[in-house]
Amino acid sequence: MSAVVVAAILIAGAAGAILRYLTSQVFASSPRFPWAVLIVNGVGSGLAGTLAGLAHIGSIDPNLEIILLTGLCGSLTTFSTLSVETIQLATLKRVRTAVLSVGANLLVGIGAAAATYFGLIGLAT
Amino acid sequence: MIRDLAAVAVGGALGTGLRFALDLAFATDDGLFPLSTLIANILGSFVLALVVAHLWDRSPLWVRAGLGAGLLGSFTTFSALAVAVVQLADVDQWMLALIYLAATMVLGLAAAALGLRLGLARRARLDLVNE
Repeated sequence: MSAVVVAAILIAGAAGAILRYLTSQVFASSPRFPWAVLIVNGVGSGLAGTLAGLAHIGSIDPNLEIILLTGLCGSLTTFSTLSVETIQLATLKRVRTAVLSVGANLLVGIGAAAATYFGLIGLAT
Repeated sequence: MIRDLAAVAVGGALGTGLRFALDLAFATDDGLFPLSTLIANILGSFVLALVVAHLWDRSPLWVRAGLGAGLLGSFTTFSALAVAVVQLADVDQWMLALIYLAATMVLGLAAAALGLRLGLARRARLDLVNE
């Protein structure tokens, strides 16, 4: 793998982190539910499913795939904020919100990845 | 604002680079059951919880942004987890998909709980010394 591709992965990672940070700033004033993480995880997983689907049917350059998949999607989405916020909600006795948040992330994130991945493969065959 | 965004960008590039290095170190032949993503998500959850409990309320915003949203936010990932589950299901490895998902959730949440607990305990000890 060339140094240019590695550099592009890091730059895409920086861009993903900035997009996620800006999303969290937009929702900073609504502390009732952790919306920011759900949104970036849903959007990023949907994009990742699209890229994995394109790779499966062989219509994306492998370098571009890894730059966007590992760099942009990997960094736009996050797990550590989800896990730490969930434990913090549980500690504050907001167990219902904690369970809802985890459930919504799994449903929306995996659902978006599955819909785009299988949708693309279905279209191609 | 500019300093916070710069910290997020630098942290994000570093976190992505570390996650990518783990991917290369733990590369599997078939690409199924990505151990590197599991390790990154557990380790990142633990470290984020530790620093949130231990230093968050006495750190400037740019440090929190660079370390939390940047480095650890980018080191851990949800999209790779989602794609791994979908691809395991695609090759009819439903049980493996379920195990991978359950392992990430249980170990990730446990790591966050442990990190918060250890961070708070360490804080309490330091506060005692400084009194």
